[in-house]
Amino acid sequence: MVTKPLLILVALIAFAVPIAASLGWLGLTLQFLDSPMPLHRALGDMMWQTGTDFLLVAIPMFVMLGEILLRAGITEKMYEGIVKWLGWLPGGLMHSNIGSSALFAATSGSSVATAATIGTIAVPQIEKRGYNEPLFLGTIAAGGTLGILIPPSINLILYGLLTDTSVPELYLAGFLPGFLLALLFMITVIILCKAREGWGGETVNADWNERIAALPSLIPPVGIFLVVVGSIYAGIATPTEAASLGVVAAMILAALNGKLTISMLKSAIEGTMRTTAMIMLIILAAVFLNFVLSVTGLTQALADFVTGLGLSPFHTLLMIVALLIFLGCFMETLSMLLVTAPLITPIVVNLGYDPVWFGILLMVLLETALITPPIGINLYVVQAVREKGEMLDVMKGAIPFVVTMFAMIALLLAFPQIALWLPSLVYG
Amino acid sequence: MNKLLNISEKLSQILVWIGGTLIILSALLVTVEVILRKTLNISLGGADELSGYAFGIATTFGFAYALFQRAHIRVDAVYNLFPAWLKLVADFVGIILLAGFAGIVTVMAWQLVGDTITHNSHSITPLRTPLVFPQVPWLFGWIYFVFCGLLLILAAIIAILRKDVRRAQELIGAKTLDEQVEEETQ
Repeated sequence: MVTKPLLILVALIAFAVPIAASLGWLGLTLQFLDSPMPLHRALGDMMWQTGTDFLLVAIPMFVMLGEILLRAGITEKMYEGIVKWLGWLPGGLMHSNIGSSALFAATSGSSVATAATIGTIAVPQIEKRGYNEPLFLGTIAAGGTLGILIPPSINLILYGLLTDTSVPELYLAGFLPGFLLALLFMITVIILCKAREGWGGETVNADWNERIAALPSLIPPVGIFLVVVGSIYAGIATPTEAASLGVVAAMILAALNGKLTISMLKSAIEGTMRTTAMIMLIILAAVFLNFVLSVTGLTQALADFVTGLGLSPFHTLLMIVALLIFLGCFMETLSMLLVTAPLITPIVVNLGYDPVWFGILLMVLLETALITPPIGINLYVVQAVREKGEMLDVMKGAIPFVVTMFAMIALLLAFPQIALWLPSLVYG
Repeated sequence: MNKLLNISEKLSQILVWIGGTLIILSALLVTVEVILRKTLNISLGGADELSGYAFGIATTFGFAYALFQRAHIRVDAVYNLFPAWLKLVADFVGIILLAGFAGIVTVMAWQLVGDTITHNSHSITPLRTPLVFPQVPWLFGWIYFVFCGLLLILAAIIAILRKDVRRAQELIGAKTLDEQVEEETQ
């Protein structure tokens, strides 16, 4: 009962059928094969209800927030500001790459945008300051992945929707792991630069006056972050409302920098709508498939099948983690999230694990997928920004950070509190 | 045929601008609502409902544009190993299944809107919005998406008959990673 749908799904996806169509047709096929009721009759209503769901309005808002910030002319100054604060560490600007990515991630929900933005600014510095090129590129690719873990993250909203988990709780849970991962990346850089002569390149030693003087450049991203995330936890706004506040704040910021023009808005709108339409079509199909799977009892059957294997919960979880790492080598993150979250989360919850915690674990696994060859979109983004040299350099440079992510996954498995401590403070 | 394609693509872009404007207006409306609620304890009421409609309409208005931009995600790990003819087969299967699924949804959406009109349905909210107003443009987005999908299939078939494989790929092929990245970094 479980193998047939899985085979259909794998066949469709492997044959490069668009993900939305793969999920949709799997849903339609299953309901014709397995369900006595014509479930597709509910399709129209479901598309309308999901398509106008206020929670999901956060998606175009966060995408647009990122698109406007990209064009608002704040990232270069932010990068230079962070250099003043982190540049003295062994590895120099590599730490600014990670720090700026973390901060940029905290304002936009997109990993690709983060890697592209930071990469464009940072890459010219490699030769100028004599860094080990692969490792430097690795910091950009890896830093960029923080976007899906550090709130506000679109991926966490999608996870919340598909698994019926509270988004504010997920956001709180993402904080510590997100910043801890950024810290681990920096420690990785320090260790490697200490161990290998000549990898570290130049450090940048700024004095305290320069550091203080650089603070204003950090105000815009920190301000947006406070508006968006602060308003959620101050109880002022829901995630969607917070995202809307963020869009307005970003437009004001762009206007202050003299960048708010019609042509800028036009390209921000086109980028936003392209991404939103693409994500939403997959979500609509995924919601329909989800419905069919639960009505036909397949979700339960899959859970029973896994339980029936007789493995301990922890071993089952390890198996799932291994499967997701494997999938991450070949699948793009968004489709991976939308395909796996509804199927796997019930199993994990069935085993007695916390859905909020698993959401965070899943995000780290998705981050890993962003930089695992052969299909790791951030690797390609960094290579594209660089415009020369071999792809292999970027892949080599990303490997230490893949190892760091594995360490992060192990930490989350061993100490679930890393994710759950903050939510438990707030939600008890 | 090319002329029809160009006009359709241009219209999809115009729809996207309308959709994007709706999203920006929603952001402003929701912001005003939040600020009024927090400072003066006044609620406009219905900002969430209206922005939900704006979002629904904007989304379906974006489908056709995403199609022309070949932005609907496909996993190409295996596809990239295919010989050229099999890639083309996969491209056709892909777009036919995509347009087909959208077609089925559109028929169901048509019935939903039909019911709305027959029963003169209103939303069960304080606004009591007559649902026909947001649902008709929403349905139009679906119909236009299916129309553009069929148009692209037809144009690709014509290209194949003219032995212009490159043109067919431009119309319905998967985006190469280079193209995707170029878009993100432009």
